[in-house]
Amino acid sequence: MAGRVETTEPVGKSVPRIDAYEKVTGAVQYVDDIPFGPNLLYGKFVRSPYAHALIKSINTSKALALPGVKAVVTGKEVPNRIGLYLKDRFVFPLDRVRWIGEPVAGVIAINEEIAEEAAKLVEVEYEELPAVFDPREAIKPDAPLIHPDLGKYEVVPFIFPEPGTNISEHFKLRKGDVDSAWSQCAAIVEDDFFVPQIQHVPIEPHCAVARWDKDGTVTLWAASQSPFAQRDLIAQSLDIPHGNLRVIAPYVGGGFGGKAGVSIEANVVAMSRAVPGYPVKVRMTREEEFLGTNVRQSCAAHYKIGCDKDGNLLAYECQYYFGGGAYNEYGVNITRAAGYSCTGPYDVPNVKGDSYCVYTNTQVGSAMRGFGMPEIHWGLEQMMDRLAEKIGMDKAEFRRRNCVRPGDKILTGMTMPQVDLVKCIDLVTKAINWDKKDKPSAPHKKRGKGIAIMWKAPAMPPNPGSQAIVRFNEDASVNVFVGGQEIGQGTFTVMAQMAAETLGVPYEWVRITANPVDTKYSPYEWQTVASRLTWSMGNAVKAAAEDARQKILQVVAEYWKEDPKDLDIKNGVVVSYKSEREQSLKKMVVYGLPNENYEGWQGGPIVGSGKFMPTYVTGLDPETGQGTRAVVHYTVGAQAVDIEVDTETGQIEVLKIASAYDVGKAINPDLVMTQIEGGAVHGLSAAYEGFYFDERGKLINNSLVDYKIATVMDIPKEIHGDIVETPLEDGPWGARGVGEHVMVQTAPAIANAISDAVGVRINTLPLSAEKVYLAMMKK
Amino acid sequence: MLHEITLTVNGEQRTVAVKSHHTLLKVLREQLGITSPKIGCENGECGACTVLMNGKAVNSCLVLAVEADGAVIETVENLSKEGELHPLQQAFVEHNAIQCGFCTPGMIMSAKGLLDRNPHPTVDEVKEALAGNLCRCTGYIRIVDAVMDVAKKGDA
Amino acid sequence: MQPFDYYKPKTFEEAFDYLTLPGKTVFPLAGATDFIPSYRDGVWQADAVCDIKALPGVRDLRETPEGLWVGACVLMSELARSPLVRAHWEVLAQGAEVVGSEQVRNRATIGGNMCTASPCADTPPPLYVLDAVVVLKSKAGERRVPVTEFFTFVRKTVVQKGELVTGVIIPKPPAGTVGEYHKLSRRQGCDLSLVSVAVLAAPRNGGYDWRIALGAVAPTPIRVPDAEAILSKGWDAASIDEAAKAAEKTAKPITDVRSSDVYRYEMVRNLTRRAVRSVAEKLKK
Repeated sequence: MAGRVETTEPVGKSVPRIDAYEKVTGAVQYVDDIPFGPNLLYGKFVRSPYAHALIKSINTSKALALPGVKAVVTGKEVPNRIGLYLKDRFVFPLDRVRWIGEPVAGVIAINEEIAEEAAKLVEVEYEELPAVFDPREAIKPDAPLIHPDLGKYEVVPFIFPEPGTNISEHFKLRKGDVDSAWSQCAAIVEDDFFVPQIQHVPIEPHCAVARWDKDGTVTLWAASQSPFAQRDLIAQSLDIPHGNLRVIAPYVGGGFGGKAGVSIEANVVAMSRAVPGYPVKVRMTREEEFLGTNVRQSCAAHYKIGCDKDGNLLAYECQYYFGGGAYNEYGVNITRAAGYSCTGPYDVPNVKGDSYCVYTNTQVGSAMRGFGMPEIHWGLEQMMDRLAEKIGMDKAEFRRRNCVRPGDKILTGMTMPQVDLVKCIDLVTKAINWDKKDKPSAPHKKRGKGIAIMWKAPAMPPNPGSQAIVRFNEDASVNVFVGGQEIGQGTFTVMAQMAAETLGVPYEWVRITANPVDTKYSPYEWQTVASRLTWSMGNAVKAAAEDARQKILQVVAEYWKEDPKDLDIKNGVVVSYKSEREQSLKKMVVYGLPNENYEGWQGGPIVGSGKFMPTYVTGLDPETGQGTRAVVHYTVGAQAVDIEVDTETGQIEVLKIASAYDVGKAINPDLVMTQIEGGAVHGLSAAYEGFYFDERGKLINNSLVDYKIATVMDIPKEIHGDIVETPLEDGPWGARGVGEHVMVQTAPAIANAISDAVGVRINTLPLSAEKVYLAMMKK
Repeated sequence: MLHEITLTVNGEQRTVAVKSHHTLLKVLREQLGITSPKIGCENGECGACTVLMNGKAVNSCLVLAVEADGAVIETVENLSKEGELHPLQQAFVEHNAIQCGFCTPGMIMSAKGLLDRNPHPTVDEVKEALAGNLCRCTGYIRIVDAVMDVAKKGDA
Repeated sequence: MQPFDYYKPKTFEEAFDYLTLPGKTVFPLAGATDFIPSYRDGVWQADAVCDIKALPGVRDLRETPEGLWVGACVLMSELARSPLVRAHWEVLAQGAEVVGSEQVRNRATIGGNMCTASPCADTPPPLYVLDAVVVLKSKAGERRVPVTEFFTFVRKTVVQKGELVTGVIIPKPPAGTVGEYHKLSRRQGCDLSLVSVAVLAAPRNGGYDWRIALGAVAPTPIRVPDAEAILSKGWDAASIDEAAKAAEKTAKPITDVRSSDVYRYEMVRNLTRRAVRSVAEKLKK
């Protein structure tokens, strides 16, 4: 620590990332970088060529006969169900496949080439069934039934499947009386929107290694946002005592929700059981990443929204049909979140919302950054624009007038907690010169501006917990043990800041002991999802640090014979405001302090522990979605964009994106800005992304050649960010999460700007130059 | 088919027996223990495996190891010397141009390839040189700023 | 990736022996940027590859009495940055600099870009307007094929088994020649062309000889003689519009995951007009 800068009271300061040095030097090990030695075996999945079929038989003899093949594992060996909210899938399917690309068996061999070759030799006999890909088709009574056993699946109490249909969840929101409100509306808009499935495209593909030791202990190394949830789900599914299953999760090379819950990990663990003592590695190729891992759900939405002549929203009716894919074990809760937040960040007196999660014969829809919110905001934020147009009101003003404010009884009956969305709107409109019509850069170009606002609550069970441990070393440096994952968002840095601030030591004294997160040693953390770590894990770290701080003060107070209340820790030194004595933390935090004349000692190694779990979320009425408190809190924000449309090609250049989010308290303002910037580009990129399938349901653009994500050449000329800080009641220093929110409304903001520039509306994502051009032609 | 090849990796001459169909990426990672070049797509689309080969940025997934016989290979492990970060690494740290870090080694090597041949590039030239390195986290803006910062100081 | 063998001959004789090994599919390997992904995906099969980069002359980029010699293994980045190419064959440099990424351009070769024969390749349209000639060699000797006869269909060329493209010869255009290569793609960075247009205006008899080639809108790149004829008579705004429409009529695009044929037709017209206009702008200077 000598010679380095020391940052005291670091909360609110843009200290450098704690993980930067190891990341720029190439020292960081991701799962695929961990050496396992020559005993490492490689696994490869055999994948279904049919979107929907019965498995009649699986013959593995040819594959097993290939030299170098160690084992082939099929559903028969692991007839166990798995799932987070709804246990609707087998580890490997037992009787039926439900999408093209579903893993049917796992082959294990001494190298990748042999595993790949052997996978082709596994003979599976199928009986093809009719398939359905679009949620709007899948809800029809005569649609092929994808899960005939839906009624038998184990499900959490707040999810409502409809057995005998493809509906795995139906969330109903009823507030006021929509039907009688229409007559009072001066303007009504009604339309349909569609969002296709998209993929997270982390640059690190999924990779997992598992070893099943002969004594029954099992170790899983995984690129994972959810080591503890994976331990829980896999242990339950494969009948492993939780204490025997150890999940080790090093830094994640991009998550975005794709590495939340379980995707390939249970399969790899199940495969490893066939070769006791050998580590088995399965790494997705980029094509498999698209074909076989989790994706964002598609969403077909219908809206009918009305307001009075002054622009006050009166009624909001919506139906959301999420294309949940083959298994909805995680996706059901996305649909639920879309249901209880169905109006977007608007205060509407009369609401009728129905949100359906629908099985389709496509990739598994699961968590992705925004968790249902980008899907519903795409349509609703365009509809708000159209409503404002209809009554001749400025679109930003329309939003100011109708957006949620603290104290509002929002759609679920919950009282809106502290946020300042109006300020966010003010900031982005100012940043983008909202009232000024700027000139395009060339005669064949047209310029336009658009705005969109958003809200999102952490969508999770009511009671996900966090735990932290703070432990001092001899030199008073601190190890903070957490179980949340560093997926790029900077959580380790923020946790170190919070611990340092609470303990009264410089930021540079803190080490985060969580790489890897190891369920054998790390404190518990539900999952690294829902933008919940700064808030939830932060509260646990703060509590653990406070616990350690109190223990230190107790020891010193007794040593000085003073009251702990008169003591404080400043810059690593215990000070007494009463006697003005000082005691360095060094050594004493491990060795304690001697009594007078060395007649004994007191204190000892300091360790603090803390936890946090929200205890106040209530259930909602299944028929109305009404309840005292639907969610822990909401984060809100606004974006405004300035674009230019090339009328000869339909190409859009985004000149500027201005964002403002209410984060409660920016623990590290520059890291908040990196989320805002990265999210804006992710949102812009995602607006141009979408899966294309052939008529059999086979994914056509299953590579980066044809599933293009934004490159450095595609980014806006300028990204502006503003941070609003309205403290959250139970956030550490008032902080709430922002990691997902930053991309939620980018697509509709761009769509609104397109409409402003060239007067066409695009209701179906993805955007493309072609779509814009052809829409202009039709006009 | 096995081939004995000799190549200079991060300043050290290494002789290894490689299979015809193994890529430089695979050999660097699995036979030479150099793991900063990452497996992102094995298709030349993501740039996570970028290394300098005879001073030029290449996707090591699109080079057969046997083709690299006699070549000089440099990866990000070679940049920091005696605990001092290379100016590009330093700039990436200072600009918070890193999030998950998976694209970072390749990104830095592409930037180095550019600055080695063109020490004072324009913003457009930086973007062109980095267009083959995908990053899903940062939105690229700080990466460009970091490279421009080094280019302006001219000490790369 | 499944195993294959690797040969690296130093002479053509040796190379032809490898390429004609009985019962074996031996794939000529240049930059490997198309081979590795295509082989890995199973689109191409091979028992072995024959690395041609050590053969004499294939890495040369130099001016000869016949014009510019571009050896088959000359890199895209070399073409894009060569002052010689920039000075006299600018449109080729423009095509080369938009192939893939910097990393790909540092491995990808002109021979590979030609022999892969993807309809959306970026160097063939410039070579079409430059009247390049492809040089092929086999045990039977050397032959020359005008580039406009080299491609026969999507991913098909006149190259025979046992034959190699050794390079292309590009006649030197007269002083005052202006060219432009325009490409339209979904993303701005490293994307394949949906439509591409190469336009060249070469001084002739006090006027200009116009040449236009289109990429990605037919099984092979195509010239647009009707448009060329219109422009060679005059290049006022109306003629440029006429020429653009002629290009649209000549194109035969398909619908695929990247774009619809409807959009491609429109873009052939608009992109041709834009490329011709920018050549015209340059001529006025």
